[in-house]
Amino acid sequence: MTVGSDVKQCLASLKGVEASLSSLAIRTQDNESKKTLHETMMVVNEIVTGLKKRVGELEREEFQYKGF
Amino acid sequence: MVPEWIDIAVRSIFFVVVLFLITKLLGKKQISELSFFEYATGISIGNIGAEVAIGLERNIFHGIIGIVIFAAIPFLSGLLSLKSKKFRDFVEGTGTVFIKDGKIMEDNLKKERYTLDELLQLLRKKDVYQVADVEFAELEPTGDLSVMLKKENQPLTAKDLNLTVASIKEPQSVIMDGVIMDEPLATIGRSRAWLHTELEKLGVTVENVFLGQINSYGELTVDLFDDQLQVASPQERPLILSTLKKCQADLELFALGTKSKEAKQMYSKSSEKLQEAIDKVMPILKG
Repeated sequence: MTVGSDVKQCLASLKGVEASLSSLAIRTQDNESKKTLHETMMVVNEIVTGLKKRVGELEREEFQYKGF
Repeated sequence: MVPEWIDIAVRSIFFVVVLFLITKLLGKKQISELSFFEYATGISIGNIGAEVAIGLERNIFHGIIGIVIFAAIPFLSGLLSLKSKKFRDFVEGTGTVFIKDGKIMEDNLKKERYTLDELLQLLRKKDVYQVADVEFAELEPTGDLSVMLKKENQPLTAKDLNLTVASIKEPQSVIMDGVIMDEPLATIGRSRAWLHTELEKLGVTVENVFLGQINSYGELTVDLFDDQLQVASPQERPLILSTLKKCQADLELFALGTKSKEAKQMYSKSSEKLQEAIDKVMPILKG
């Protein structure tokens, strides 16, 4: 296992969390909680974008692990 | 001539209906008997009803007049009370302060003819055994004692601890006695199909659910007829929280592991941001 696959795994987990947060935000009745959940989702989304870029760089460096 | 017992039966049924209508009209306030006035008129209305139902020599019509008048006056005085504070104080009475600034007001006790024993008894009903714990206590017109404890004796709240807690909405009961309730389901914007899917996830059928409630986060919790069966509690929120924490730790690890300066910065910034977000969302995901 390399750093590349670890980062990919983390990226996948974060994407999952982003989706869960989004669905939880939609289902939540209380507006305050809804907002907080949505904001958290946005933060996770930002991080996901950053990680995606990093995964691209890593793929260029370790070519054999390409696949995203 | 009809036999007397039939007369009594007819009168009884008639007056039960009249009393039912009158109490409906007067509403919840009359039933809770907030003032002595309402208490007395309530008893009188009941008495008139019973008297005329059994007393065959009485005229039914007279009974109805009596009941209507006894009902109308509290009704009208209720309307007037809404308008005038003075009238309200006169009819419904005002409270009497028994304890102020932690000190018992002996004169007020005397005025209401309450002994110290009775005051202690009322305090005990409020789970107060030591008068020194009380900041303020007032005898309401209903005869209840309202007690405000000194701040240090009041129960601890989230605010006292500077804790952030997630605000919530009331849960909705969507299944009762194995029957789906459409109205509460519509209130939270869910369909029957969604409910069936949720039940399937829990592995139970509607018929087996005694009570099903949906909380503020749209999670379904059920109580089954068969108490031997174990139902899983909702795990989604704790799962999100633990995944978030794990990812945050991963990002920190990556930041330590990488040689690229640029990547290091990105990782550590991300992990910081994620930590902040976790702290903010924690009260929601934990509870």
